[in-house]
Amino acid sequence: MLQTLPRRAVVTLLALSVFFPLGLVIYQSVLSGPFFMKTASLSLESFAFIFDDPDFWMAAKNTIFIAVGMSLIAIPLGAILAFIMVRTDLPGRRWLETPILIPIFVSPVVIGFGYVVALGPVGFFSVWFESIFGSVPWNIYSLFAIVVIAGLTHVPHVYLYSSSALRNLGSDVEEAARLSGASPFRVARDVSIPMVSPALLYVGVLVFFLGFEIFGLPLILGDPEGHLVLTTYLYKLTNKLGTPSYHLMAAVATCIIAVTFPLVLLQRFLLKSAQRFVSVKGKSARQRPLALGGWKWLALALIALWLFLTVFVPVAGVALRSVVSSWGAGVNLLEVLTLDHFHAVFEESTMIRSIINSILIGTLGGAVAVGGYLLIGLATHRQPDGLSRFVDYVVLTPRAVPGLMAGLAVFWVFLFVPFLAPLRSTLFSVWFAYAVVWLAYGMRLIQSALMQVGPELEEAGRLVGASRSRVSRDITVPLIRNGLLGSWLLIFMIFEREYSTGVYLLSPGTEVIGAQIVSLWASGAVDVVAALSLINMLLVGVGLALALRFGVKLHD
Amino acid sequence: MNITRRTFQRALLAGLVAGAFGLATPAMAQSTAELAAAAQKEGKLVIYGVTDNEQANHLIREFRTMYPAINIEYSNMSTTELYNRFISETAAGSSADVTWSSAMDLQVKLVNDGYAQPHKSAETAKLPEWANWKNEAFGTTYEPIGIVYNKRLVPAGDVPQSHADFVKLLNSQTEKYKGKVNTYDPEKSGVGFMLVTQDKLANAAGFAELQKALGAVQTKVQASTGTMMERIASGENLIGYNLNAAYALTRAKKDPSIGIILPKDYTLVISRVMFIAKNAKNPNAAKLWLDFVLSRKGQEIIASKADLYAIRPDVEGATTASGLKAQLGDALRPVPIGTGLLTYLDQAKRLEFLKQWNSAVKAK
Repeated sequence: MLQTLPRRAVVTLLALSVFFPLGLVIYQSVLSGPFFMKTASLSLESFAFIFDDPDFWMAAKNTIFIAVGMSLIAIPLGAILAFIMVRTDLPGRRWLETPILIPIFVSPVVIGFGYVVALGPVGFFSVWFESIFGSVPWNIYSLFAIVVIAGLTHVPHVYLYSSSALRNLGSDVEEAARLSGASPFRVARDVSIPMVSPALLYVGVLVFFLGFEIFGLPLILGDPEGHLVLTTYLYKLTNKLGTPSYHLMAAVATCIIAVTFPLVLLQRFLLKSAQRFVSVKGKSARQRPLALGGWKWLALALIALWLFLTVFVPVAGVALRSVVSSWGAGVNLLEVLTLDHFHAVFEESTMIRSIINSILIGTLGGAVAVGGYLLIGLATHRQPDGLSRFVDYVVLTPRAVPGLMAGLAVFWVFLFVPFLAPLRSTLFSVWFAYAVVWLAYGMRLIQSALMQVGPELEEAGRLVGASRSRVSRDITVPLIRNGLLGSWLLIFMIFEREYSTGVYLLSPGTEVIGAQIVSLWASGAVDVVAALSLINMLLVGVGLALALRFGVKLHD
Repeated sequence: MNITRRTFQRALLAGLVAGAFGLATPAMAQSTAELAAAAQKEGKLVIYGVTDNEQANHLIREFRTMYPAINIEYSNMSTTELYNRFISETAAGSSADVTWSSAMDLQVKLVNDGYAQPHKSAETAKLPEWANWKNEAFGTTYEPIGIVYNKRLVPAGDVPQSHADFVKLLNSQTEKYKGKVNTYDPEKSGVGFMLVTQDKLANAAGFAELQKALGAVQTKVQASTGTMMERIASGENLIGYNLNAAYALTRAKKDPSIGIILPKDYTLVISRVMFIAKNAKNPNAAKLWLDFVLSRKGQEIIASKADLYAIRPDVEGATTASGLKAQLGDALRPVPIGTGLLTYLDQAKRLEFLKQWNSAVKAK
């Protein structure tokens, strides 16, 4: 909760940060050339061009297929995983908590690349599999493979949201169900998961958004057989006409927004009843884990299989690729072992700078972003008025814009707004783009935490005469401090792996590993990409391990 | 009397400067020294380039030892990114002092659109005529385009020595090479597009045959040389068509499975085009840099350390224009820098060409 004046200031700043870049994109889409060129005039030719292009319709169809398919895979699996991890006595839960988050902080470009090296036509695993069974039954470059991989790699997103919510449920209802003879699966399906449906709805829409924005996987896995999605189509437009076609790219982005914005409205409609689900009151019921009995082996096996496919296979592929100079059919890996790729990284000042910048943007930048998200959260918390409803729409909006385009729009903003111009080649511009692009994600983390605070505690504070900001400072924020620390960690990981948003902001001084990988991938320095990816994963892994070691919990 | 004295003083000064710099002609020495002094006063140079940092650094390091007072900010990016960034930054005020890109057509477009300033020096005079356009756009390298193959998996007898061989191989062993050949996707790579249009110019009679053969084996298309080479090295694909031999050479040094063929009937040659921005903030440093890259020393670094090919005719070795001439003679087809490259930046013509290409190569 905030006083009126700071509240308005926060909301104004937020709206500017979101709508100015977005407005630029939409304005650009109705021009005949780049908006900064004198020759550009108002025109709808960009839309005429893309609607006339069969590739656009193919890309649109594939995008919907992928978004739906990956949601169907990720949401049930993520919810079940959360239930198993949070509500049951599965052995080794504590140990599993870290590995199951890995897919979140590995850049999809790297995951895609890892799958090619591991499961591609001549991948490490494929060659081995073929030598035993005679042939390889999968095709990593098919649309179906992209859907499965996208679905499996988004399970942790669903897991994070639903486990946060599940952790805050009292376990009395589950125990009641178990005592009346329900199996653990039945308890999950009929009791626990329905109780966290608001969290699932949010994450469902988010995963769907991510499906629309998905870029790295189709870029690497879809390209060889010509499977376009809207983002890779957008990317392809950079070159199709020879000279960059900002207006066409903006038109595609506008089409994506036209689809995703109604989804935001739908989500708001679905969530009107969120109040019904507050289950943490002033006196909270302690939860007791549910005994799985014999089911625990099945649960463990499923998690192990998922981890093997989603984490081990691509990561092993990348790791192996980073220490060999060559690979594929007929190569004896022991003969091509080398550490040259790592030497190449550490000899290059831009690489070292990108590593340092990535650490800075994750730790410091992540903390500042969480601070900003918290302010926005407090500006709307327990104030169900028009302004709060407005903010709810605003924070979801950037998610609808593909990261590539959002990064470009932020680049324009920093280029043409005079007082921002000096900041363009500093890390601030990258941070700003990241913070806006991941606004929806961060706000859900904060709001999930805030929503769990029972209103009566804050009302008690108000009754004894405390101001709104006093209540925030002394009651609300202290109550969710674990949630804030967890959010910081999650934002840290997301900022580490972000790749598309920074591409257009890349310049000396603003290098971050993610964008650097995309740029190196485009130039074909696959050796260095593999080494840099591994370094990135190690950095995040160390950060995460340290945080866990010092007692920062991912959830409260 | 006065005149003679002044002339004498000038000659003496020129002689001294020339002696100090160990350079041949007094007049030239003076202008280089002046340029160097002005450049060092600027103290900074911003370059946007598509050449990998690692390769560009060889040049930058040497330049910095010669002129320690000039700091160089080199940004490595893709060809389209470079174009985008350059035009948008120029619209907002100012951008890089020098751009250096292998997208010859985009560079020519920028120069044609008035984004460059002219420069004339003893070094630019050494360039072949086709590599200097209006004294504004300069070719700096001589990179042959070749056929790359996997040495482990392609039998010696299959390795094509010319475009005609290549077409023959794909037509006679269609089943074996189905899905095993890759090339640039002209829709995704500007350089790739330029190369196939140049193919059409260089080989008007055989172009349709070439397209048909590529289509018959369901050629895989990629957006970058790196990804093509990765797939060839691993054996997922076996032969790559229209790859930059300079890149392949770098990889072949580390990876014995990469083999390179420069076709004997004709070999396309592209050149990294450099120009000085019209509103460069550090014009003198930019000129000094351009002269350095085109100088004998700069060209030797390009040939021996940066794994590109030197364009200057008086630099010798395997990775130079003269070395290639000895090997391939008249088969070399350098792509001339000039308005000819603008043909396919016309939207209608480009889409027409792509449509034709896709129906011949992609539709299967």
